[in-house]
Amino acid sequence: MTSLGLAWRTARRYRARTLLAVAGVAIIGALLFDMLLLSRGLLASFADLLDSEGFDVRVIASEGLPAMRVPIPGSADLADRIRGMPSVRDVALIRMERARVRRGADRPRVVTLVGRTQSGVGPWTVVRGASLSYGPVGSARPSGERDSASLPSERGDCPVVIGRNLATAFALEPGSSLDVTATPAGIASALPSVACRVVGLVDFGFAGVDEYAVATTMDAFEAIVAEPSHGEADLILVASRAESGGGAAAARAIAGLRPDLRVYSNEDVVAQFNRNGFAYFRQISFVLSSLTMSFAFLLVATLLTVSINQRLGEIAALRALGIGRRRIAAMLLWESALLVGAGALLALPLGGVLALLLDHILRQMPGLPERLHFFVFEPRALVIHVVLFVITAAAAAAYPVWLTSRLPIAATLRREVVG
Amino acid sequence: MQWACHNPAMLTFVAALACAIALDAAPDVLVSRQLAARAHLTVGDTVTLAADANGARARTFRVAGVYEPTPDPMRFTAERIEGRLHLPDLIALTADPHDPASAESVNTINMTLAPGIDTRRFIADLASQAPGVTGWPTARSRDDDPFVVLDRFHLAISVVTVVGSTAFLLALMVIRAEERRDTIAILRMVGISRRSLLTSVAVEGLVTAIAGAIFGVALAFTTEGLVNRIFQTRYDTALVFVRVTPALAWRAVAVAAPLGIAAGLAASWTLLRRNILSLFRR
Repeated sequence: MTSLGLAWRTARRYRARTLLAVAGVAIIGALLFDMLLLSRGLLASFADLLDSEGFDVRVIASEGLPAMRVPIPGSADLADRIRGMPSVRDVALIRMERARVRRGADRPRVVTLVGRTQSGVGPWTVVRGASLSYGPVGSARPSGERDSASLPSERGDCPVVIGRNLATAFALEPGSSLDVTATPAGIASALPSVACRVVGLVDFGFAGVDEYAVATTMDAFEAIVAEPSHGEADLILVASRAESGGGAAAARAIAGLRPDLRVYSNEDVVAQFNRNGFAYFRQISFVLSSLTMSFAFLLVATLLTVSINQRLGEIAALRALGIGRRRIAAMLLWESALLVGAGALLALPLGGVLALLLDHILRQMPGLPERLHFFVFEPRALVIHVVLFVITAAAAAAYPVWLTSRLPIAATLRREVVG
Repeated sequence: MQWACHNPAMLTFVAALACAIALDAAPDVLVSRQLAARAHLTVGDTVTLAADANGARARTFRVAGVYEPTPDPMRFTAERIEGRLHLPDLIALTADPHDPASAESVNTINMTLAPGIDTRRFIADLASQAPGVTGWPTARSRDDDPFVVLDRFHLAISVVTVVGSTAFLLALMVIRAEERRDTIAILRMVGISRRSLLTSVAVEGLVTAIAGAIFGVALAFTTEGLVNRIFQTRYDTALVFVRVTPALAWRAVAVAAPLGIAAGLAASWTLLRRNILSLFRR
């Protein structure tokens, strides 16, 4: 009989303890797998969220997220200069303002209103209806030019796309109408409402779980906030050309145009997030991964050692029958591998379910974008999981193997069997 | 409560130590411990401050003291390169000479309400009397507190760990019960009832679990300082990351005790329910 066969028979003979040990390894392994998913999950999700917009460079006026808006002076001119750069494929100007939305007699809702110039890609996914229409997509046009000859309020044209939260709150569908009133933070205002038309229901990438968000064209936005057509943007998004060096090269070139502004490539944003916002989760992931591995090692090693101590007579008998030290050692290694391997295998689906639960808990953090996740599967997590468990299985079997390899056959048989 | 539109004022040091000669006329500045270490500042040094990176309208200040920034869990990864000035000095340094109103503006007003005043009502009254300002309480509600979410996350991880540990504990107890098979058979043979044996197993499980919990709490107490020191050094902060409170210690014992008893009873019951002959393998 092979060593694997002997190990399998032992596992079957002591069924209860085997099942309990496998269950323990599976649960601890699930936690380890989740910590591996967490170790880079938020970063991967954040990077994916940034990339999903189709832009890889961001231009802002100031660092951080101040409560007051910090506009980019001369943003329309700057956008035109950026658009003229050979390394740039697309440019979009973004403005954001707080607003109040009312529909009929329903209670008004405070929303984040986003105004955006034309660009090929939007930071949202259309769920129902259509996206904002600017004419032929991709047609380059100076930012100073407007989306139409007259202001939307004059034409009664204010197309908006809304998030699903708001659609549910007001029972809105594409084609519905709603009144939008800008309520800029930090200043007293009595701006009139603008009647807008819902053209689509969308998933906003950066909107929070509980946030109501509305996006419209820059023309309509300027009509709502009652500002002239050359308002200053809060954010300029730039899509670079890969063949010209990508986002990092474009960011450097744009920073050279306006040294007073902050220019970040997506990689810069992710790196900054990794240093600051993500530090806690990286640390807890590392600490818990280390603890779970130590825990799994100690417990499997203890189980195997106690189990071996109970079976010393049996092992001495096997040795007396002529089974060599090497086969006994291999049998113990297989026992450890069966316990740890089965547990590690079960840990994967269990870890997946647990990750959903833990992700659900963490995503209740206030202000978190709806599409951001803490636990993200990456193949490297699976590889590390397997490698760590192979090491654990080998390490846990080391002491029992050493114990049995030094076992005096005659004395042990006398003590265990005759005694 | 806090009445604010912006972050607290913070200046950039464009030039650190100007010279070692203290000027009597120089106003005072307090510098954070981190800044003092970074710029090699000590009390009595003179520094030049300016509100912009070009050093325009720079002024000289005397370092009057070094302070430890109040630990802020929301900013523990941020480098606390900070200084504190008297408000008139700050306004003189930062006010726009072309905008007279800037000399009379502040970013934030902190206030403590008199006892019995409702914060929400006060904020609503303020908003109606001073349009354009935003007020909010400094105390977070449970709905918008990220630490409440982290607390739930930690609790969930603890539950998973306890479940995993229980499975291992059960496996060990099963092995231990098997080891005692002959002893139990003899005890049953001499007339000791199942109830007495179960009680003894329960007491043993209780003692073991409590001893384990006390060991765990003692380990946590002794490593608490080490863990805090590692993270405080890593992030250069005085924030306390781990604190083993009596309530936590009691909770650990309260969870461990019933689990230990249950594991002991469950493992032993597999033997105790059998008749005496089968215990003797007959």
